Amino acid sequence: MTFSGSNTGAVTWESARMKSRGVTGYPSFSTQNQGFFTRNMRRISSSLPSFSGKKDTRKWKVRAIIAIILLACYILFYITPLHYYWRRTSWLGGGQKFVIILAANVGGGVMEWKGAREWAIERDSVRNKRKYVARWGYDLEIVDMSTKKRYAHEWRESWEKVDSIRNSFRKYPKAEWIWWLDLNTFIMEPSYSLQSHLFNSLQKHTYRDINEFNPLNLTHPLKANYLDPEALSAVGDGDINSVNLMLSQDCGGFNLGSFFVRRSEWTDQLLDIWWDPVSYEQKHMEWEHKEQSALQQLYTTQPWIRSHTAFLPQRMINSFPIGACNANGNDTRIHYDQNDRDFLVNMAGCEFGRDCWGEMYNFRELSYYLNRNPWERFKEDLVAVIWFKLTGQKVRL
Amino acid sequence: MVRRSHLKTILLFVLAIFGLVWLFSGSKLSGPRPITGKPTVVVVTVFDDKYDNTAYSQHIKDNRIQYAEKHGYGTFIAKAGDYDLAGAPASWSKVVAMRHAITKFPNCKYIWYLDQHALIMSPNSRVEEHVMGTQQLEEMMLKDHSIVPPESIIKTFSHLKAHDVNFVITQDRDGLATTSLVLRNGEWAKFFLDTWFDPMYRSYNFQKAETHALEHIVQWHPTILSKLAIVPQRAINAYSTVDHGAQYKDGDIAVVFSQCSGTDAKSCANEAERYSQRWRAAFGANH
Repeated sequence: MTFSGSNTGAVTWESARMKSRGVTGYPSFSTQNQGFFTRNMRRISSSLPSFSGKKDTRKWKVRAIIAIILLACYILFYITPLHYYWRRTSWLGGGQKFVIILAANVGGGVMEWKGAREWAIERDSVRNKRKYVARWGYDLEIVDMSTKKRYAHEWRESWEKVDSIRNSFRKYPKAEWIWWLDLNTFIMEPSYSLQSHLFNSLQKHTYRDINEFNPLNLTHPLKANYLDPEALSAVGDGDINSVNLMLSQDCGGFNLGSFFVRRSEWTDQLLDIWWDPVSYEQKHMEWEHKEQSALQQLYTTQPWIRSHTAFLPQRMINSFPIGACNANGNDTRIHYDQNDRDFLVNMAGCEFGRDCWGEMYNFRELSYYLNRNPWERFKEDLVAVIWFKLTGQKVRL
Repeated sequence: MVRRSHLKTILLFVLAIFGLVWLFSGSKLSGPRPITGKPTVVVVTVFDDKYDNTAYSQHIKDNRIQYAEKHGYGTFIAKAGDYDLAGAPASWSKVVAMRHAITKFPNCKYIWYLDQHALIMSPNSRVEEHVMGTQQLEEMMLKDHSIVPPESIIKTFSHLKAHDVNFVITQDRDGLATTSLVLRNGEWAKFFLDTWFDPMYRSYNFQKAETHALEHIVQWHPTILSKLAIVPQRAINAYSTVDHGAQYKDGDIAVVFSQCSGTDAKSCANEAERYSQRWRAAFGANH
């Protein structure tokens, strides 16, 4: 279909359309059906993961937000003191139920001056317990055991245990258990809480029949024609809730370097009876370990003490270094073993010819070494080693 | 709809079970075995071996048994020789006999220890009312009262309530008197008796054996002092003579022949004979 004389201004449909486009639109480019995205929009969008509607998109968003909030809460819980209060509260973590008493300044005061090593021991031991209670929400009571003149005529050195336990029960009304620790102890595994390590399954960990491990060779249970079945039983009434005193035995018998007492009427009575002037007068010459010997004596002779006392395997709460109790060499009942990650080490008797500070230092370093986090391991086991190989210099990062 | 309502009942049921379990586990933790009070009182008397199977000991036993039968109480009559005292004086056997009585009668509420040289005179006085009755005891007990008059600075508690009292005792002219005492059964009683019976005290040669040991523990140990009530002597421990303490008058629950000895008019058997008619008459009249 041609028209003659197109050059003479004759108008065709096609040319009119082209002209009008030039007037109304932009001559240099077009917005319609041009460019990569406009041309390929459908293809791209159909190849994206397909949602079957608006609703689902929202669901995913909500889920993501919840996850982020949870993560934030988790982080907040652990970076703020919130987890501390959680662990502390008696009806949540239950940390308030436990008080640690640490005996400081043993034999110091009037009797002798402390040297640099003694100060260092005290500093390390105290720091160790401070960190531990801060981690788990327990309370720490540091008591001054320096020799006091209690009565005009006698020195009652180290009998202050009784008074300090009594005071602590008064000072911490929510405390259910008091854990006594001597100064020469070190908590090797601060990541064990008392609850998970011990109290959640007390029945499993304790034994009440002393025949299980009986270094003193006591006759147990008592034999007497006048006692009730509970007093004659090797395990008291067998109910774990009737246990008010938990301690461990070393090669020589009872050891009070680390022990637990529960708040109870029974405990009040024990603390009251423990020191008695008539017993003291008759026995103080042979009671080498004072209140420890007195407790042994009470346990031996008094049925009411036996039926509420339980024992813990020594290495649960009171491992010894190889320097203590070593007449028969290494004893797996008694001595610390780092492969088993024992909870606490008690450098018992280190003041008699051993090096307390040296032992304390070594155990402190060992505890750190065993409990390094991945970053510390990376630094020390990899970076420092490589650095040493490269430069021949040891570095501490 | 039917299933949903089922679900509801099941849920409620489960909740109820948990509630019950919780309740019971709670009560289980609440301490020692309850004491039912059967019998309410056990009367304890220990005879020295020399009185074994004599007319005198038969007389005293008779008195105890008749009194106990009247009120449905238990009696616990022991011989000092039954117990191993590790060389301590025979009078220590009273402590261990009380412990033994608790073993034999674990459900009794009170133990009344009455000396071998004593007779119960008033058949109608019940221990749980006459001595341990709340009002009676609170009226009787001597508060803020020196344990060993006149020099002892340790005194009975001034704010003690009857329900806190686990141990009732009297004083005579010399101090605490252990010829008649009432003890409330329970964990505390075991603690107290075991402590009193400590071999350290038995070997200490206290001048008056268990009586001085008791004075010692009461004054040194607040967990014992805080459970102790001293009552006027005639409430449970009237003496037949006026020499060492308050003298018996008609109506008192018991008479104690405190310093009886030998074979003459002051012998225990003769003293007891003097009261024999009276208590038998009083008991007979009440049958």
